[in-house]
Amino acid sequence: MFAAENSHIITVENLTARFGDNVVFSDVSFQVRQGEVLVIAGESGCGKSTLLKIMIGLHSPASGRVLFRGSDIRGADEKELNRYRRNIGVLFQSSALFSSMTISENVALPLREYTDLDAATIDQLVRMKLAMVNLAGYENHYPAELSGGMKKRAGIARAMALDPTVLFFDELSAGLDPVTAAELDNLIIKTNEALGTTMVIVTHELESIFKISHRIIMLSKATGGIIAEGSPADMKEHATDPLVRNFFLRRTSEPALQGGSYGQ
Amino acid sequence: MHHISHLLADSRLVIHLSGEFGLQNLPAFSGEINNLLEDTEGISEIEFDFSRVAYLDSAAALAFLTIRQTSAARGVAVKMSNFPEKIGRIFGVIDQNFLHHPPLKTREKREGTIILLGGNFIEFLQDIQKFITFFGALLVAVTHAVLHPRSVRAKDVLFYMTQAGVNGLPIVGLINLLIGLIIAFMSFLQLRLFGANVYVPALVSFAMVKELGPIMTAILVAGRSGSAFAAEIGTMVVNEEVDALKTMGFDPVAFLAVPKVFALMIVVPILTLYADLFGIIGGLTVAVIGLDMSFNTYITQSLNAVSVFDVVTSLVKSAVFASLIAGIGCQRGFLARSGAQDVGKSTTSAVVAAIFMIVVTDSFFAVVLYYLR
Repeated sequence: MFAAENSHIITVENLTARFGDNVVFSDVSFQVRQGEVLVIAGESGCGKSTLLKIMIGLHSPASGRVLFRGSDIRGADEKELNRYRRNIGVLFQSSALFSSMTISENVALPLREYTDLDAATIDQLVRMKLAMVNLAGYENHYPAELSGGMKKRAGIARAMALDPTVLFFDELSAGLDPVTAAELDNLIIKTNEALGTTMVIVTHELESIFKISHRIIMLSKATGGIIAEGSPADMKEHATDPLVRNFFLRRTSEPALQGGSYGQ
Repeated sequence: MHHISHLLADSRLVIHLSGEFGLQNLPAFSGEINNLLEDTEGISEIEFDFSRVAYLDSAAALAFLTIRQTSAARGVAVKMSNFPEKIGRIFGVIDQNFLHHPPLKTREKREGTIILLGGNFIEFLQDIQKFITFFGALLVAVTHAVLHPRSVRAKDVLFYMTQAGVNGLPIVGLINLLIGLIIAFMSFLQLRLFGANVYVPALVSFAMVKELGPIMTAILVAGRSGSAFAAEIGTMVVNEEVDALKTMGFDPVAFLAVPKVFALMIVVPILTLYADLFGIIGGLTVAVIGLDMSFNTYITQSLNAVSVFDVVTSLVKSAVFASLIAGIGCQRGFLARSGAQDVGKSTTSAVVAAIFMIVVTDSFFAVVLYYLR
């Protein structure tokens, strides 16, 4: 139940995902190490979010499997999957806070459901989590009253409510201003260091990739699989694959049109 | 999972912790420690030794901080020591200052009965006002659409005609067939006392064409389509799609409500005719099988009971019902503000308000038609 020193916490084996005849990616394998911040990067449409949804057990893959501490998350029955889900926290792209509940009710929901703590303790835990994401004082606000960045942070607080072993983030800083995005990055780093939570983050924001990630896995639409894996520095400096270089150096594959040279 | 041992020397209590401390065993270990602290009297200093702790989560860390706080309040100093490297950091991210701060916004308090009553009454008046405003806007949009038929989104009209009309045929047919059966059977039970069984067909066709056909159809359409309109527009409001329409220069009422109103006004009278027919077939079944009445007699008797005027007015009536259902459905949808619950509320109130208005309008029609005849 609790963390054990085990270098690989999640193992993804030969995953293939397809929608109808359209194969999103095939034969993807990699490991998530205990305590690391792993970024899954790649251009839009390469299947990053699909991969994440398979890893959190929302979608089932066409083939292949996901192992959490050595056992298949889709093991014998639904119970296995639910046990796995108690060990993970997920921040969805649009935060997915329940709009009819206040922020504190949102964070308290998993604590009320899954623990038998008394109301006062839950209240203290909720306040602590909100303070951790810099939302102290916003207990009684409704999600509609918060800005985009605050909603994300409230979503993180809810995802962390049960002190999960692994946190998943779908599009961490999409649609946020640079300052808010940087604040989120700091929050991720701080939480990872203090709590030792393993984090799997889907994003394509270069700046935050370089700031927060320990390791990067890059997917490509063209090859339908992983095209690069390594530390951010490795990726930027030593990658030879043109797709990877383009991504990290922010280049397009076609030369940009330039007024002077056009038509010559 | 966890183990707690202690050592008491003079007035100093050393508590050795080992194992895992987390959310799962929080009540257990905090209870154990609190019991220990209560049982040992006359201590002035407590030391927690974390050196053999394998796992500690933020909930457990908070529990230790709370113990330190309550002990300090009783004049007992608490020391926490020998943190393994990873575990000590957790305490760094817990800010105890915020734990007792009042929230920025106070929870909404429950008002007294009189205030609630007044509030609801004001809300009711505002509701009527919004309703009238919307129907004014709808009327303008519909007039514009009638004058400029090409501005109407024909594809949308056809879509809603299929949804509300074609897909509604089975349920409308079934319900009205059963209603016809029931009326024929019930009236037979009463009329046979006078030997007036021959009036069963008249009663069925009269009731179906004049009242039950239009009303039953309207109620079914309100339940099927009025609710769907409210949910669709409500979701669009919540997703800012309606705002997008506005900024692109479209009138949301003309864009979203007019096709629905047209579709229902075309389709509901047809459904009503269909309902009448099925009601009469229901009555016919009972009469032919149960009352030994011939097919021809039944049809002749049925036709004698209703006039063209009755059929036409019932169709006009059902067109009015249609406009009410569509109008109310759309209006309730536009009232949604934020979140899934609002959409649910709009949907419910769309159906309730539509059925209420159908019945009110029907009584109005009954009186007017009586004098008109």
